[in-house]
Amino acid sequence: MAFRRFQGGYKFGTFCCQPKSRLVQAGIPRKVIIPLKQGFGGEVKPLVKTGDKVFAGQIIARDDNSVSSPIHATVNGRVTSIEKRNYFMQEITVALIEGDGTADFRMLEGYSADWGSLSPEKTEELLYLSGVTSLDSEGIPTRFKSSAIFPNEVEDVIIHAADSEPYNMSLKALLLGKNKDHLLAGIRILKKIMPDAKFHLVLNQSGRNIVDWARQAAVEYDWIKVYPVEPRYPQDMPEVLTPSILGREFPYGYSAATLGIVTLTIQTLLSVYEAVAEGRPLIERVIALSGPSWKENLHIKARVGSPLEFIVGDRLKSEGAAKDRLVLNSIMTGHNLNDSSLPIDRTCYQIVGIPENRARELFVFMRPGLNTDSYSRTFLSNWLLWMKKRVDTNMHGEERPCISCGWCEGVCPVGIIPHLLYRQIAALPVNESFMRYGIFNCIDCNLCSYVCPSKISVARSIKDGKQKLVSIGCDKSQCILPKFDLKGAEEYRGVKSIR
Amino acid sequence: MKILKLAIYKTYAIINSNKHLKRFKPVVEAADEFFFGTDKVTLFTPHIEDGIDIKRYMSFVIIGLLPATIASIYFFGPRVIAMIAVSYIFGGLTEVVFSAVRRKPVHEGFLVTGLIFPLVLPPLVPLWMVALGVVFGVMFGKEVFGGTGRNIFNPALVGRVFVSLAFPSVFSASWKMPLSDTITSATPLVGFKSAHAIPDLYSLLLGSQPGSIGEVFRIGIIAGGIFLILVKIIDWRIPLSYLGMVFIFASLGNKMNPEVFAPAAFQLLAGGLLFGAFFMATDPVTSPFTKTGRWVYGILLGVITVSIRSLSGFVEGVMFSILLMNAFAPLIDTIVVNLRFKEIRK
Repeated sequence: MAFRRFQGGYKFGTFCCQPKSRLVQAGIPRKVIIPLKQGFGGEVKPLVKTGDKVFAGQIIARDDNSVSSPIHATVNGRVTSIEKRNYFMQEITVALIEGDGTADFRMLEGYSADWGSLSPEKTEELLYLSGVTSLDSEGIPTRFKSSAIFPNEVEDVIIHAADSEPYNMSLKALLLGKNKDHLLAGIRILKKIMPDAKFHLVLNQSGRNIVDWARQAAVEYDWIKVYPVEPRYPQDMPEVLTPSILGREFPYGYSAATLGIVTLTIQTLLSVYEAVAEGRPLIERVIALSGPSWKENLHIKARVGSPLEFIVGDRLKSEGAAKDRLVLNSIMTGHNLNDSSLPIDRTCYQIVGIPENRARELFVFMRPGLNTDSYSRTFLSNWLLWMKKRVDTNMHGEERPCISCGWCEGVCPVGIIPHLLYRQIAALPVNESFMRYGIFNCIDCNLCSYVCPSKISVARSIKDGKQKLVSIGCDKSQCILPKFDLKGAEEYRGVKSIR
Repeated sequence: MKILKLAIYKTYAIINSNKHLKRFKPVVEAADEFFFGTDKVTLFTPHIEDGIDIKRYMSFVIIGLLPATIASIYFFGPRVIAMIAVSYIFGGLTEVVFSAVRRKPVHEGFLVTGLIFPLVLPPLVPLWMVALGVVFGVMFGKEVFGGTGRNIFNPALVGRVFVSLAFPSVFSASWKMPLSDTITSATPLVGFKSAHAIPDLYSLLLGSQPGSIGEVFRIGIIAGGIFLILVKIIDWRIPLSYLGMVFIFASLGNKMNPEVFAPAAFQLLAGGLLFGAFFMATDPVTSPFTKTGRWVYGILLGVITVSIRSLSGFVEGVMFSILLMNAFAPLIDTIVVNLRFKEIRK
């Protein structure tokens, strides 16, 4: 099968403390906080009031008229309050539930272990009611407006696990036991509701066992293709998957769904199977704990809405979180988890813990660097590939003026020239020439900031530039709409993932 | 190490207590960071940063220059060390003055300029001229444009052009045979122009022919250049296209008119071509930043260098061609960028 790659990108060295394939249960929290906007879609209206008794798996918020999926209570107990909270820089409604500590939950109605016998309509309904349809960057299309498009408009489904980030959850941990079969069943369930779609399975080429298994499994189905790829960041972003796997141009800034493409992760597929064949609503997530700050790097199965402090518990090496930085999902693009009372939601799959390193080192720029990751090859570790790379939050240098070394251009996955934009944004008043140089193509992968030897926050300045442009009335639609015929109802075209 | 820490701490205290001395705070900060690195952490995404910084970047250029530098000390004696020291001291002072006036940190780009400048001078140039040249180069080649990252011309070459044009007689009397005290006026390129004499190519490679300080030990230059390409500090496109074009143009010219055009292999090895192609034309600030632009830049450099060497009154064209193309680099980039990013029609 084809070996695909894209221009630019960067293959990180192997950082230390990758999550091991061990899976443990987090237990049932006494208190959960359920944001009423999780995953793809807008905020939904609460169906319960303060004081109501709820059970795990009960739908507590739902709105069939907007692009959204239902939200469930994840523990048995009582709603103590419904209030507005600041959740990752968004003001959204949350439901606080006090649990009684019991682990049972209510199954979905009408599921069947013999999922082949369910009608496509029933399957769609099960998926929607389970909440699985809100996962990943475009959601899963159903006739209940759970994505920006409808199932019959889907041409391609890309299921990706390229492991391109510095830290990735371990596929081995996800595919333990019978889960490989469940994954395949999940794909076949989706094929049922999207009969016209082709399925593309993008896997890390170094995971030999899984690639071999997938190839064997795909032989039977001519609509499944397997692509082993190099784990080159940011391969897992839809903006990169679309051109590199399907060879189609991407309408940057819009959802891949507007092309009829849905990108899903392995964990989503497993949830699809669990919803349809086992009747489990989406109330649990597997979360990888990666990075050197954890005592043990493992995977943890936790109820959605568990507060961060419940998950962290005493799993960090150091007492007091000031010495560590916890980052949600991706260390390259993820939010800083400062507030340990905030809950984890459906989209969470990883918490990376890295030490805040303010320590100074004598002649640090002259060290041979046995454990340093670098785009350049100026460190010994760039030649000794088996060495595990160290990771911390230190800047490793001072900010200096741009010397146009061109490294940011070299790694840019969308072919723009980041330092050119950076210079223009810094020097000129906001103007339309930024658009010409492709500022709206930027997908915020932050690689340019990572590789910059002058330690300039290139990606940040491009982001600021975008905001300024929008404030003077220029936006992505002027660059994209003339070139593309986008799918989806007019009102949903602009819908991007919530973050 | 503790003494150093204490010294820097004391200097901070003195500087902070005096109104006029406060200007020099960036200088002390630079020294502090030079020795001890940074304690800053990332404030937002990405939460991690690449291990390399500009200090390491520039140090690697110096490592790349080391073989040629050490060989030149062997060939021309300890005088070379004195020239390098003078260059660093006076150039460094100029930087410090500018950073104090601007209240901006001292930048590391000077580490390279300060070493390259003496290496492109003839071995017998008086020390005052080294000082004058490096001050002029740093001031008018770099600082007046706004400092590191904004200069149009390579500062070391600006200094070199200044002294060679201001004191041509001193300059032409400053050449000397390596490993001997014989003063000579005939570098290999002069030899070809006046008498069509072509020296043994191995002697050019190994450094027994006269020339500028850093350019004579050409094996060391090639090794240093390849090292820099391997560690990704310089872009291979510029040396390859530059040297390739010199080779092609010189071979064609030599076939048509061997009286005027020297043979290609000799042209590649003679003069400052290798040094210029690996260490000066590749300066990221003054060369184009687009990949296509870099090919164009290298090819034009090759054409101009061979043209000046063969068709003009000058014997060597590397310096002038690099300065000339420095001036055109922004234009090349603009053209490439405009071709690549089409205007958005409404």
